[in-house]
Amino acid sequence: MSNIKVEICIGTPCYLMGARELIDEMQKIKKEYKDKIELKSLHCIEERCEKAPIVKVNGEIYEEVTYDKLQKVVKEKLARL
Amino acid sequence: MAANTVSEIVKIKRKIYIELAKQVLNNKIDERIDKIPNKIAKEDGDRYRCCVHKERAIMGERIKLALGFDPQSHKDETPADLLKREGEEDCCSNIVNVIELACDSCPIDKYTVTDSCRNCVAHKCVNVCPVDAIVTIQNKAFIDQKKCIECGRCSQVCPYGAIHENIRPCVRACSVDALTSNSERKAKIDYSKCVDCGSCIQACPFGAISDSTDLVNVCRTIIDQDKKMTVLLAPSFVGQFGAKIQPEVIKSALKEIDFDDVVEVGLGADMVALEEGDELKEKIAEDDFLLSSCCPSFKKTIDKHFPILNQKVSKTVSPMVKIAQKIKETTDHKTVFIGPCVSKKAESCNYSSVDYVLTFEELLCIIVASNMNLANYEQKEKMNDSSAHGRQFAYSGGLSAVMLDLLGDKIDVIKGDGLDQCMDLLEKIMEDEIKLDFMEGMACQGGCAGGPANLNKTQVTKKLVEIFAKKAENKKADQNEKTA
Repeated sequence: MSNIKVEICIGTPCYLMGARELIDEMQKIKKEYKDKIELKSLHCIEERCEKAPIVKVNGEIYEEVTYDKLQKVVKEKLARL
Repeated sequence: MAANTVSEIVKIKRKIYIELAKQVLNNKIDERIDKIPNKIAKEDGDRYRCCVHKERAIMGERIKLALGFDPQSHKDETPADLLKREGEEDCCSNIVNVIELACDSCPIDKYTVTDSCRNCVAHKCVNVCPVDAIVTIQNKAFIDQKKCIECGRCSQVCPYGAIHENIRPCVRACSVDALTSNSERKAKIDYSKCVDCGSCIQACPFGAISDSTDLVNVCRTIIDQDKKMTVLLAPSFVGQFGAKIQPEVIKSALKEIDFDDVVEVGLGADMVALEEGDELKEKIAEDDFLLSSCCPSFKKTIDKHFPILNQKVSKTVSPMVKIAQKIKETTDHKTVFIGPCVSKKAESCNYSSVDYVLTFEELLCIIVASNMNLANYEQKEKMNDSSAHGRQFAYSGGLSAVMLDLLGDKIDVIKGDGLDQCMDLLEKIMEDEIKLDFMEGMACQGGCAGGPANLNKTQVTKKLVEIFAKKAENKKADQNEKTA
């Protein structure tokens, strides 16, 4: 079964732009879909700090991520599993 | 005031602060300051107001506040004009300010009839209204706003809940009735009542109320090679810079971005605990009681709303002032207090020992502007200024637990947790309804751990502070030799 790997940057610029809340919310989704989602935190993603918060989903980088945006991306990928 | 969500309003404010700090630290602020709004609000970017021009204009007002100027009194000046007036800042007159341009003039009709009205036969609303303000027009109840005295009885009796109580978020958040509106229906703060707690700043969904900041002046001091500066970290600092960022890492990192020393305000709290403890002993001997003095909003609430109780307030200065005075005794450093508090900004204006006050958020903006990433930073420097007692001041109940620990369990201690509860208790004290020796008053729910400028959930901060307090080498304030 293929997993969805969500990597959220928790470096200081991303933390300041709401990374912690993204993690909190992702953990809620993770509970629902259990082993289908792998959640990791990273310390910096390609130094794209100007566009914080940065999240990688299955290797693809997303900038200025809001919770709505992230949820949409993850749910779309879940639907395709 | 628990979890402060990072809303779009918060993000915009932080982007402005990071950009300002960056330009000051790189010595380019003079040429760049007026370009900041254009850089952040792009033509094709997300839009929250009518147009990009308004978005930018509001950013300009925020920059004025960040320079320490009240945007209302400096409407015709640009941020660049104000930048040249260093030293003339009016931030000490009012800390909490309304940005009129951003205020949406929310409706101020307190009671309105909604579509749920069925024009029922009983029409209890009409019957209960003491001023005959309700009539039925076109099959629906109607409130004549000119007659309405906002008593709320109609809303209570309607069986359909069809009469809506409309309170502006800022007004609802204010425990001391300091928010009114001006002739243009913009929010207006009555400073004779305001206690600087910062609740309205958090409550306004348009970001129209904001606190002034020393951000620019702190950055100026950082790059000034002739000036040295000591950071005073409030007891609630643990976990504020990222849940996994250890206190020892924060200390080392702050020194790397050119702060000269980092000290725990907990040490000041230890000193306060001892002094206030002695004061309390005297009061008890005189069969009198003592009100705590470390929360400036609580102190201001007494001064503005219960002035008769002023003489009962402890004469001991706050932990912030205590530690700053101690630093000034032995060094020529500038002092900058870092905390979760808006009210400390106002308090610092009365004490020359505290040069600047920043919130955790504002310091983090400076850290980001300095290209420092705490998640990657590994160096550590030991923190050992405070005993467990001093560290405990960070949350509601901490101070009173320390007093019980120092004086024995026989004293009557009450806690005011949050401004509403404080007001309630103070009223009861006035009416002689409570017997007490000591009252701990904290304007924020949860104590400083629940302050308006916290970056973490109150409970998380409390837990992390408790762990940090357990690690202290000295358990009690009277064991801490540094208090001497």
